[in-house]
Amino acid sequence: MIPNQAGPAGPVGPVGPVGPVGAVGEAVVMPRDERRTLTERFGGREGLAGWTIVFVLIAVAILAPVLAPHSPEAIDGNRILAAPSLAHPFGSDDLGRDVLSRVLYAFRVSLGIAVGSVALAMVVGLPIGVLAGYAGGWSDLVLMRLIDLLLSFPALLLAISLIAILGPGSLVALLAIAIIYVPIMARVVRSSVLVVRGQPYVRGARARGASHLSVIRGHVLPNAIGPALVQASVLMAFAIVIEAALSFLGLGSQPPTPELGLMLADGNNYLAQAPWVEIFPGLGIAISVLAFNLIGDGLRRSFDPNGLTQ
Amino acid sequence: MSALVEFRDVGVDYARRGGIVSAVQNVSLTLEENETFGLVGESGCGKTTLSMALMGLLPASARVTGQLMFRGEDLFAMSESEHRRLRGDEVSMVFQDPATSLDATFGIGYQVAETVRAHRQVSRRESKARALELLREVGIPAAESRYSDPPHRLSGGMRQRVVMAAALANDPSLLLADEPTTALDVTIQAQVLDLLAALQRKHGTTILLIAHDLGVVAQICDRVGVMYAGQLVEVAPVGELFAAPRHPYTRALLDALPSRGRRGRALRVIGGQVPDLSHPPAGCRFADRCPHRMDVCATVPPLATSGAERQIACWLDPATRATAGLAPLPDSPTPNPAVPVGDPS
Amino acid sequence: MNARLSYALRRLILTVPVLIATSIFVFLLIRLVPGDPVRSMLGIRATPENIATVRSQLGLDHPLPQQYWDWIRGVLHGDLGQDFISHEKITSLLKVSLPITLELTVLAMLLAVGVGVPVGVLVAARTGWARKLSGGFVIGAISIPDFWLGLMLVLLLTSVLNLLPPSGWVSFTEDPVQNIRYMILPVVTLATGQTAYILRTTRAAMLGTLSEPYIAFLRAKGLRERSIVGVHALRNASGPIITVTGIQFGVLLGGAIVIENLFALPGVGRLIVTAISERNYVVVQAGVLTVACLFIVVNLITDIIHGLLDPRVEEAVSA
Repeated sequence: MIPNQAGPAGPVGPVGPVGPVGAVGEAVVMPRDERRTLTERFGGREGLAGWTIVFVLIAVAILAPVLAPHSPEAIDGNRILAAPSLAHPFGSDDLGRDVLSRVLYAFRVSLGIAVGSVALAMVVGLPIGVLAGYAGGWSDLVLMRLIDLLLSFPALLLAISLIAILGPGSLVALLAIAIIYVPIMARVVRSSVLVVRGQPYVRGARARGASHLSVIRGHVLPNAIGPALVQASVLMAFAIVIEAALSFLGLGSQPPTPELGLMLADGNNYLAQAPWVEIFPGLGIAISVLAFNLIGDGLRRSFDPNGLTQ
Repeated sequence: MSALVEFRDVGVDYARRGGIVSAVQNVSLTLEENETFGLVGESGCGKTTLSMALMGLLPASARVTGQLMFRGEDLFAMSESEHRRLRGDEVSMVFQDPATSLDATFGIGYQVAETVRAHRQVSRRESKARALELLREVGIPAAESRYSDPPHRLSGGMRQRVVMAAALANDPSLLLADEPTTALDVTIQAQVLDLLAALQRKHGTTILLIAHDLGVVAQICDRVGVMYAGQLVEVAPVGELFAAPRHPYTRALLDALPSRGRRGRALRVIGGQVPDLSHPPAGCRFADRCPHRMDVCATVPPLATSGAERQIACWLDPATRATAGLAPLPDSPTPNPAVPVGDPS
Repeated sequence: MNARLSYALRRLILTVPVLIATSIFVFLLIRLVPGDPVRSMLGIRATPENIATVRSQLGLDHPLPQQYWDWIRGVLHGDLGQDFISHEKITSLLKVSLPITLELTVLAMLLAVGVGVPVGVLVAARTGWARKLSGGFVIGAISIPDFWLGLMLVLLLTSVLNLLPPSGWVSFTEDPVQNIRYMILPVVTLATGQTAYILRTTRAAMLGTLSEPYIAFLRAKGLRERSIVGVHALRNASGPIITVTGIQFGVLLGGAIVIENLFALPGVGRLIVTAISERNYVVVQAGVLTVACLFIVVNLITDIIHGLLDPRVEEAVSA
């Protein structure tokens, strides 16, 4: 066996362009061990921490109107670039807006776009991957060539090109991220389908007269979903970064939307003067990305018995 | 003949998460110069642990007791760098699976030559010349043109020849061969064993052949040691062992072999299971499966010398009993062990 | 050597369809803009005559296949068109910006590989604090967005410690020392995350390799641990490391777009982003094509290196 070689026609190899998600490219059947503790189920201590942070962030995003001490868009001429205080723990920005309130609201945009783009990519990528992997033949060849082609673009460049066509905005960013994720998702699903398809029990089910649909539902999907979820959590982390980066460049969410990357772009001009405008939104991005990465690592541990990625 | 290797009451324990695994216990054994010694036993009986101890390649979790003398020097007292200088030079090893013993990213010749360079101050050209000579000696056809071939272009048997060439590169006095034919096709097995025997005759290398297959041992070994669950239970010249086994475990092993004389009869299997070595039974470790179990078996039977060339560790045997100061059993279930020492063929 | 040469050639030929497909995608970029790209380029005050002139200059009044043919012929002759705002030739814009992007990305990759691979090799066989520390660095460096890391480094090293210039650029030929000073922060910023990926991959690949039986045989041959790890194990682990390095170069090129804007480096990324905000589609097109081709070339190089280091790869291709 050749360890992890890049295929001749797939210059990107078995791994998506966003990171060496290594073992994710290889389908692994989830071990069904009932005796695992709750912590282990959540991917160990780190995984549990990741899930906890994500749940807190989701709660924060939903409850932002309740939690935020001020309106995220309330301009206050007396508080321009004011330092953190009791009433404004994260300080104020160049328009006197409360940074804490803006960060809380910004999680709505970040998480919304991350979840939306990954969900969209999954809805489109999963069937493509199943079709390519299960049907094989020409449809596989054509789909994989298209996927290879999309993956031969640097992800962020592809997103930026799409925004260049469609114009900037939150929804366009969501769509652009989803489009760069579809091939990654399809590829992961396809490789797990390929593994399952060759299993004796699948051929056995077909021999017993099970329809393709019931084989896909009963065997293919349950095995493909695991690696797809690992990939999804990693992609979620990247979606948050990409969306913030796009907004930072002025290509994502537009002012006055409270958005983390946009806040960083605004504050860039007053970095030395009012570092809190930069520090807190950045921490917000880092923590949410960290949480999804921890979840991904935890899931990978469950799906990767070889421990290649540890 | 003089002693090349001497195991003096060697014990090896592994520290595991669940406690301590006693992999080898009280092994005393002498390997003579110029002999081929076979070590047999089921997997997990400690034979590989013994060879790794000789190589100085025991895992970090291993704790050793006793002494392991090589040419009068205690290997257990050696530093890692001293031991490294010995490996591949004076003491060499052939592994079980030739498919995984070679580095797939380097040419076969290089992998022989680097063994030479690891121990001799020679130029690349000299080491290459030596490697070619070795490849020819082990029977690689067109060695010159195959020198740079990666291992996967060679068949399993050819790969094992390359492994042997690398192991013999510095003309070692001791060659360990851990199941060198197990991973090969039957026809190839015989060729590789013949080659091993021929090389042994030519260079006078002492070979420690580790095998679970008594047939392989019968083919090329002078003497055999039988191990069970970390204990050395019997040592004998190969002919005597087959003709007159004295330990119940050895007898059970031989009974489990298909043989022409017992055609049509079912092969006998050994009842029971190998003991868990993290909680080994006190005394003889075979006792739980032994049909002749006695109370005294709860004490470790000493490995006793009997006659010129035999050793035995069993409370049934007069030799062992005599060593411990016990009288022979009156109604010994063994046939009279005083078999005359005859021609081992 | 012959098999390896033919492997490299085959791999080279395989890039041609990718290049063609990429060029078609980039060509379609302008044509896919909803509505009239020329109108949105020139703004609402554009006169119909202006629009008509620009349209015919762009060749948009011809049928699509002919447009592509004209465009690609120009590209192959080194003519990427003209910037409609500065009226400069786009090739001369790229002549300035491409070296900057290359300097930034290549330096960042060298730094990431130069730190990630040795550290990954060193910590591979370790347990305890070395493993915990490197694991912590990896997850942290992967999670911190590079542009925020850049901002924080600027805050620390320029505002607080006053060591380096916050942003800007001086040409290397003009003042090499200043050029490097301006490059330090962007390069470190860009390299940090990549270092983490390369370290993680190296560690995992080395860990897998060191448990292989041939490593035990190398030990049995009495080789020094240094050459077992540094020559044999590393070469066997190089496949995943090179593959990931190639992939990460793509991430790096994307990241460079953001970092160039953050540090005001006039590279291709800055060119693209500025052009997008000015609806300067022709420049966007040229910039995207340049970066995409760069990535394809990097992929080609990594695949060929991988094939040269592992003879099994070339055989898998010829099989």
